[in-house]
Amino acid sequence: MAENRIILHIDMNAFFASVEQQSNPALQGKPVAVIGAAKRTIITTCSYEARAFGVRTGMNSWEARQKCPELIFVVGNNKKYSYTSKQIIGIMREYTPLVEVFSIDEAFLDVTGCLSLFGSPEGIAGMIKERIRERFGLTCSVGIAPNKLLAKLASDMQKPDGLTVIPPERVAQVMERLPIQQLCGIGAKTQQQLAAFGIRTCGELGRFPVEILKKKFGVTGERLHYMGLGVDDAPVVPEEEAEEVKSVGHSTTLDADLCQRSEILAVLLQLSEMVGRRARKYRVTGKTVTLTVRYPDFTTFSRQLSRSVPTNNSDEIYRDAVQILDQLELAQAVRLLGVRITNLSHQAEQLPLFESERKKALVASAMDHVNNRFGDFSVTFGTLLGKECGAKVISPAWRPEGVRNVDAD
Amino acid sequence: MEFRISKEIFMKALQRIQGIVEKRNTMPILSNALLEVQNDQLFITATDLEVGMKSSYPTTVIREGKITVSAKKLYEIVKEMPDEEILFTTKDNDWVEITCGKARFNIVGLSSEEFPYFPKVKEESFLVFKNEILADMIEKTSYAICYDETKYNLNGIFIKAFDENGTNVLKMVATDGHRLSVAQKEINGNITAELSKGVIFPRKGIFELKKMVEEEDGEIMLGFMDNSAVIKKGNTVVVMRLIDGEFPDYTKVIPVANDRIVQINRDKFLHSLKRMSILSSEKFKGVKIDVNPDLVIISSSNPELGEAREEIEISYEGNGISARFNAKYLIDVLSVMEQREVELKLKDELSPVIMKAADGEEFLAVIMPMRL
Repeated sequence: MAENRIILHIDMNAFFASVEQQSNPALQGKPVAVIGAAKRTIITTCSYEARAFGVRTGMNSWEARQKCPELIFVVGNNKKYSYTSKQIIGIMREYTPLVEVFSIDEAFLDVTGCLSLFGSPEGIAGMIKERIRERFGLTCSVGIAPNKLLAKLASDMQKPDGLTVIPPERVAQVMERLPIQQLCGIGAKTQQQLAAFGIRTCGELGRFPVEILKKKFGVTGERLHYMGLGVDDAPVVPEEEAEEVKSVGHSTTLDADLCQRSEILAVLLQLSEMVGRRARKYRVTGKTVTLTVRYPDFTTFSRQLSRSVPTNNSDEIYRDAVQILDQLELAQAVRLLGVRITNLSHQAEQLPLFESERKKALVASAMDHVNNRFGDFSVTFGTLLGKECGAKVISPAWRPEGVRNVDAD
Repeated sequence: MEFRISKEIFMKALQRIQGIVEKRNTMPILSNALLEVQNDQLFITATDLEVGMKSSYPTTVIREGKITVSAKKLYEIVKEMPDEEILFTTKDNDWVEITCGKARFNIVGLSSEEFPYFPKVKEESFLVFKNEILADMIEKTSYAICYDETKYNLNGIFIKAFDENGTNVLKMVATDGHRLSVAQKEINGNITAELSKGVIFPRKGIFELKKMVEEEDGEIMLGFMDNSAVIKKGNTVVVMRLIDGEFPDYTKVIPVANDRIVQINRDKFLHSLKRMSILSSEKFKGVKIDVNPDLVIISSSNPELGEAREEIEISYEGNGISARFNAKYLIDVLSVMEQREVELKLKDELSPVIMKAADGEEFLAVIMPMRL
């Protein structure tokens, strides 16, 4: 690992809400919350005006309305967000090829090697900020630091429209009094466990005997120790080098809890088609099919079955999902359903020898062609006619390209 | 029950049934072998309810009777015994004692009453085949058997006999839905009703049959009863339940309008494919075949490694044609052909290709290409 790296973390401010405010001037300067299209959705992002009232991501619309009666709800338009995000990532890539897309509104850039071309890191950050503002009217917060951990921390320190630098010589000073929960990767549970050792700040974490941490947390213990010291040598991994995707799946929270088999089947067919279509697009097939069910009390469980031959055929995925469903005894109505294929293998497409099978394969690819041009579910199964289809909230695993590029709708 | 038997015979007898006994342990009795002694003979039976095998061996019977014991454990025990005579004795509550030299094992068995019924075989309507005919035909088709359990009607070899211009012909067909192999040979004797209609032998049964016919030259007897095929050779009887399903009409799969005929040397083609497939990873399993007049170019490319390409002279007159194939499918076919010259019959890049010997009608394979 190269010494003295310079990493930028760019975090778009209230991304979905800002995009909406830019595309509709009537929303500018007003409290706006972006929600999913499903009936029982949550707030995915809200504008800074809404945050001033105490509205937060993850609240349901009722809670949010309590906090801010004049809150304007906007149903998210994922296509708009993923389009904008791709353009912004394109701007970043003009400065360095080492861009790691962390989520739809966050990215890490390793600019160590391009300073001779573009000047100082602050200069690069300023240029990127300016271009994003000029082109989209959006602001972002940038953190500049020697590694990803600290860069993310730095971008968080000033919002919105911030630019924060943690130079190597100031790392120890910054970490000394920093509460551990502000580090990316330390959640409520780890925080509690560390508190039991009397560790509340990163300074305390860095000084704590690493052997005790190792005994308690295993390999993570050592990593925690380094996190406390502000040391992180994880590289910035551009998409094409990222680890291979291990599953293709979709899930959806239903508009209303379902207990009718026929209604559940319709949702499974829709999810299977989404999974099959994405798998076919990236030429992967799965040997294991998994069905996930969530009850209204949030009990969630998954059951899977192994196939003798891998598939990416929507119909076969659906049949397997139904087979799993039929082996379950549902104790309650169903709140969420998910279908996933795993145990993936990549393969170019072998055509079937028998004509009836070949027709099925050719029909699927003809459907995919039409749907690629005219949008998901333009051509679909008869049983899905008249139903609203598609993922309603974009997944945190979204990436601008590759299998994870869920077609937003 | 009590008997003495030579270690050598007992070990071989137990080895033969290892492939038959149920390994998934869904019904414990099916992991066991049934041992019966009467009239100075030991009968060993194993079955998984789909394929069953019963063989008889000479033994010295002290006390007649029967018992079942774990086929795998008994084989492991006998295999490691010294090369002396083995004494096998049943005790109360289905316990079994096995002694050989100074070694003694006491293992627990299960009552023979729970063991599935093995049908009595009548020998009237058996057909007789030369071992090497069946061995050859199974070798030329079995690699194409389908392993997808949901396509149960393809999980075996379809066997059919018919009269072709006054001579009786036996045909075997296997397919996994991507490729198909057909082997045929002239046979002697009459055609039974079952064979003239066509039957599907299960994959597991085919592999048992393959072992039997490959053991030695000679003859094997084949008959049918109660939806099962019965195979008899020497002291062994195998009964396998035929697959209860319709084999697809394979004749429709064999193209009739493939008029672009390429003749190519088998060895050169096979070795080239083996070389080219080194660079085809899981993601890009295919090799590309570009057929030009008098020349075929075989190539593969792999974005993670690089690319490879090879030319072979062929005899072909006609327009150029390109297609991509799973290299393994081509290699499987070439590996079972003896002839020096192979004929490829093509139509276009998305139609199945026929592969056969340039001079011979006893074997033919059809392979579906991959999408370009």
